[in-house]
Amino acid sequence: MIRDLKRSLFVLFLLLCAAMILATIKGTVNIPVADLFLKENQPILNMRLLRILAAILTGGGLAVAGIALQAILRNPLAEPYLLGTSSGAGLAAVIAVILGISRLYMPLAAFLGAVASILIVYNLSRENEKICDKSLILSGVIISVAFSSIIVFLVSLFGNEAMHEMNWWLWGSLQVYDYKLVLLVAIPVLLGIFVIYLFAQDLNAISMGEEEAIHLGIDTQNIKKLLILISALITASLISICGIIGFVGLIVPHMMRSIVGPNHKILIPTTCLAAAIFMLGCDLISRTFFGPLEIPIGVITAIIGAPVFIILLKRKKKAT
Amino acid sequence: MRYPVKKIILTAVFILLFLSKAQAAARYISLAPSTTEILFALGLNEEIVGISSYCNYPPAVKNKPRVGDFSHPSIEKILSLKADYIFCTGLEQAPVIRELRRLKLKVFVSDPSNIEELLNSISEIARITGKSREAAVLIDNMRRDIKAVTSKVSAIQQGKKAKVFVEIWRDPLMTAGRGSFIDELITLAGGINIAYDLTRPYSNYSAEKVVNANPDCIILAYMDREMPLKLVAGRFGWSDINAVRNKRVFNDINPDILLRPGPRITEGLREIYKRLYPKND
Amino acid sequence: MSILLKIENLAGGYYKEEVIKDVSLDVVSGDFMGIIGPNGSGKTTLLRLTTRILKPSSGKVYFRNQDILAMELKEFCRKVAFVSQDIATDFSFTVMEITLMGRIPHLKRLQFETKKDIEIAEEALRLTDTLRLKNRHINELSAGERQRVTIAQALAQEPELLLLDEPTSHLDIGHQIQVMDLLKRLNHDKNLTIAMILHDLNLAGAYCNRIALLDKGRIFKEGHVEEVLTYQNIEAVYKTVVLVNTNRATGKPNVMLVPGEK
Repeated sequence: MIRDLKRSLFVLFLLLCAAMILATIKGTVNIPVADLFLKENQPILNMRLLRILAAILTGGGLAVAGIALQAILRNPLAEPYLLGTSSGAGLAAVIAVILGISRLYMPLAAFLGAVASILIVYNLSRENEKICDKSLILSGVIISVAFSSIIVFLVSLFGNEAMHEMNWWLWGSLQVYDYKLVLLVAIPVLLGIFVIYLFAQDLNAISMGEEEAIHLGIDTQNIKKLLILISALITASLISICGIIGFVGLIVPHMMRSIVGPNHKILIPTTCLAAAIFMLGCDLISRTFFGPLEIPIGVITAIIGAPVFIILLKRKKKAT
Repeated sequence: MRYPVKKIILTAVFILLFLSKAQAAARYISLAPSTTEILFALGLNEEIVGISSYCNYPPAVKNKPRVGDFSHPSIEKILSLKADYIFCTGLEQAPVIRELRRLKLKVFVSDPSNIEELLNSISEIARITGKSREAAVLIDNMRRDIKAVTSKVSAIQQGKKAKVFVEIWRDPLMTAGRGSFIDELITLAGGINIAYDLTRPYSNYSAEKVVNANPDCIILAYMDREMPLKLVAGRFGWSDINAVRNKRVFNDINPDILLRPGPRITEGLREIYKRLYPKND
Repeated sequence: MSILLKIENLAGGYYKEEVIKDVSLDVVSGDFMGIIGPNGSGKTTLLRLTTRILKPSSGKVYFRNQDILAMELKEFCRKVAFVSQDIATDFSFTVMEITLMGRIPHLKRLQFETKKDIEIAEEALRLTDTLRLKNRHINELSAGERQRVTIAQALAQEPELLLLDEPTSHLDIGHQIQVMDLLKRLNHDKNLTIAMILHDLNLAGAYCNRIALLDKGRIFKEGHVEEVLTYQNIEAVYKTVVLVNTNRATGKPNVMLVPGEK
């Protein structure tokens, strides 16, 4: 099994390098490869590299957060935004716009909004210090719907500006203007991925069931709380710079699970790389397919993700 | 007892006629900020009985009743005001227009896509409101203001013209292409819009393209005005753009005079020109 | 003859109800104990209290004189293993992967399994006659095969005490005997102490050396098979008429049902 891991990682790493190279040389502006490294083109090169970093962080982070939630909630439909993070961030952003808060603080507002909604969802679903999986999912859905309605309400009251803001949130973008933000966000995201990986063994046991995991010596309640919090932090951090990018956290874990199996020790690192490659691919498409226009990345991940998901589902039906 | 009965009757008739004519003073509603500005510029004020909540110029609008926002005015309110004519723009207001016309109200749609059409629109509005004389003066002034700029521009060589990037929105980055008023203003002011090849008036744009085009000036024309300069100048990869290096990023032009197809468009033209060619002024 | 598990005046249950009211029970090293009782008597709750799934409201459980709640969870799981009724099939782990999870109590967090762990897992698979299935996915197996894999996982924990909750209820009689024989062999050859909840009184009678009969959260009768499986005890607890004679093959009591209607 260790041999498999090494081999898969090697192949994925090569693919990732290829994707990174492609993403560097292709963009909305056509620059011949030879000229790309000239001093005058350095800003564009830098911008592309920053985008690549954002894509890798977003892909890896959302996918691993998705894996953790799928194992903890024992639900294959779980994904990073399930616990209300997306609508919480969006609501905070809209409120910030309405209150006239400077653009500078928008990422912070989004981050706080995402964290706030997780706390609300967590508290709603708690029964005496214990986490109940079904309550968690239900509360997450309810809060998402509630916040989304408030967003629509506010937008209808305050009009166009708030609406414009929402568009970006809804579909996400890897165009981040502030490189410091990307570096800042890289810290919790990479740390978070690492910590989740540390708990791979626990995730294996937890995905067998709450009681089964306790029987194997896993402190399920505390570990669940910790990993949900970490998933939320990863998700909130990424939302604050890139908006909401759907499907990555749901599709890629499923794809990889059907290829490398459900053992988290292998699943987590391979999915992380695969998701990064996926994001780079989607970002490339969003930047190059339609001329100077940039299609929001969430649209591309959905357009690619949905058919892939359907194919996977059909295959699963055939198997059972 | 020789009361001048005839005179009294005539005076009474006159007074009655006068009163009825006063009561029959025109009533106009404007559903868009641009048409509001045009109406006021034509000298109307009392006749304007309703405006949209977005109308913010001239200052006299403060006291005018509002009939709702730009895309969803209250039809009830409009009906209650018993207007003779309703002025609005096309685009988003199309469903409203349909509804108003269905209710047999008179609606004039002003939807110019360039300055010539704008001037024609002003003439039309003037004809409807009986202000043709005022319109002629206004149009004349506007043409004069435009000429004042274009004559100075004609002296500038093509190669020396300033490249301009107009930023309408930041996330996603949006700019104005051909067919937009701003694009026309920039051209008239002697600038070259780096997004000239965009066929849509307003569209997403790639940051990479901006960096590659290296504009000499960047004009921020947001609908909300508080986009701090440093957020644009501090963008990753933008520091080497001419406009950023030479500190020619401008957020101090009132976007209303750049985006609104109204009488102040010539002011917008002048402001753009002043920033593109400060030395020529 | 040391006492492995000592349950002392245990009481506990769920939110509204204290299912276990007062239970004291000793499981001696080498025992093959059967826990029987009608529905609702608290058998599963008792096991849950003993495996730290539930916290008792009063009373204590000791493993070799150590309070189980004072032990580190992984340490406890190295000593006591639990076999549930069925294994979850949401995620398609392979048989080997599932059995290897039994080594978790012995592994540190990031530690990968060593060769020794793999050997222990394979031994567990061999003992349960599932070695040939080791690379198959768990959701492809039959109920009987899955049950044996569950046991294999527990065996991989190398416990001193094995607790089971009705391991044979989904199985046909052939597989029931197969599993019970396996457990008896492990009890005998490996000195594995076993305590299991059983539905089938006759299986309990045939295989166990001691039986605890639970009724309404208390021990009604506890002791050797012949002492407990009497028609008086069974009728008192199960509220149904039975006849008890001797199974000629095993020499142990055999409980026969007496239908109310003909």
